[in-house]
Amino acid sequence: MNPSIRVLLVEDNPGDARLIRVALHEWTGGSCVVDVADHLAGALLRLEAGGIDILLLDLGLPDSQGPDTFAAVQRKGAGLPIILVTGTGDEEIALELIRRGAQDYIVKGKIDAQLLGRSMRYAIERANIMNENRRLNETLERRVIDRTRQLEAANRELETFTYSVSHDLRAPLRHIDGFARLVRERAGDTLDPTSRHYMDSIHEGTQQMGQLIDDLLHLAQVGRQVVRMGRTKLDTIVQEALAGLDQEPEKREIRWTLGPMPEIECDAGLMRIVFMNLLSNAVKYTRPRRQAHIEVAAELIRGRTVLYVRDNGVGFKMKYADKLFGAFQRLHRADEFEGTGIGLATVQRIVHKHGGEIWAESDTDQGATFYFTIGEGRERPDVTT
Amino acid sequence: MSVGLVDVLIAEDNTADAELVQVALEQNDRSFRFHLVRDGEEALDFLLSRGWYSERRYQDAPRLILLDIRLPKINGLEVLRVLRHDPRTRLLPVVLLTSSTLEEGVALGYHPGANSYIQKPTDFQLFRQIVHHLARYWLEFNEPPPLGGRVMDSW
Repeated sequence: MNPSIRVLLVEDNPGDARLIRVALHEWTGGSCVVDVADHLAGALLRLEAGGIDILLLDLGLPDSQGPDTFAAVQRKGAGLPIILVTGTGDEEIALELIRRGAQDYIVKGKIDAQLLGRSMRYAIERANIMNENRRLNETLERRVIDRTRQLEAANRELETFTYSVSHDLRAPLRHIDGFARLVRERAGDTLDPTSRHYMDSIHEGTQQMGQLIDDLLHLAQVGRQVVRMGRTKLDTIVQEALAGLDQEPEKREIRWTLGPMPEIECDAGLMRIVFMNLLSNAVKYTRPRRQAHIEVAAELIRGRTVLYVRDNGVGFKMKYADKLFGAFQRLHRADEFEGTGIGLATVQRIVHKHGGEIWAESDTDQGATFYFTIGEGRERPDVTT
Repeated sequence: MSVGLVDVLIAEDNTADAELVQVALEQNDRSFRFHLVRDGEEALDFLLSRGWYSERRYQDAPRLILLDIRLPKINGLEVLRVLRHDPRTRLLPVVLLTSSTLEEGVALGYHPGANSYIQKPTDFQLFRQIVHHLARYWLEFNEPPPLGGRVMDSW
């Protein structure tokens, strides 16, 4: 043990104080300094002066009794190891105070130098570790608070950014389209067919970019959104998604097969977006089919509920499957199938937010099936990434 | 139906947008007198007869206010809030115009008391149709609120 431990012995009975003092000297070979206080007020004063390594505390003092004594000393000592000195029969109280942070207790009349020494050594070590832990926790807490504040600021910035993008990128598009249209109208019949074609291209360009901005914003919004889990009937969600599909100008026959769907724990709004994207994709990529067939169902695969949307459309080569879910990634030329390449990225983001997985199976001209799972009964509230 | 000029206030800092709104409105068979204000402060000065517009009688209120949400100095929502708290302007028809498709914006727009909330589409043809219907509704079908504050006194 270190040569000079400074002990504050709080004990009003001179006899007991002397016995303890003797035991301490025996243990340390005289290298420990013992200050004695015989009442609480004195002990608190001494603690205030500092330099104490460990406290030996009798709970029964002239000016304070029992747990109150401990509480007062603990408050003042902030982290100092405290060993209680109790009379026989006070074990109950001692144990209770150990729960509140006392390191150990010794019983008067049974004081043994070896025992006391070991108890003190452990008490000091334990207290050091506890203090270190507390310090680390406080640092950690501060860092969490700092980091949270930074994240909140970043989120706010992102929100402002998204808002600005939505406004400021759209405004010039409106102007381009508006004024191009007005030029065309003013020119009337004097505009040759090629120039009219150019004007049409300007219009199409603006509309595409408008769609792109909308989709990007949507993707960003889905990313930010907090998942609100709730018991959800997927049948209803699929029906709503179907109702929300854009009507196609050219009438063609689509045979829908809607299998029975389970009731699951998910965010209904986000799940609607998933189905709207998958269903509108199925409709889009079956366009060349005279008889389109789209199937929405659920099946149990190895104990997991797997939901799927299957079509008999143009499909894709499986070697591109890993590219399907990347933002802006398209597997079809724009003149074959329109699109911005953000829909499936959005779908994947939502599925991941639900702790699920998504994958696809297909081959060129063999149709495509998109499978996904939703976190198996695991509750994942407030997932924001 | 009144004959003569119909006053419309366009609060819009972007001249191109203001011009397109005017062009779109002019397709209606009415003769308009457009008042253009370029920021929120000017919009309030105009409507509440303050500052530069202190000579204006607030009784000559426009029949319709097209208010862009994103205005410099005082934004459209703030302008609207002030208008709704002032008995002289509380009943003026205000149509909020926005570029945004963000849904939270819609709720924010109606909260301070917009009469209508229009998202300007990028397709000018569509925008013209919207403005056409808007103008017909607010300037022809809709009976304008009595102005001059007399109605307010009885409240």
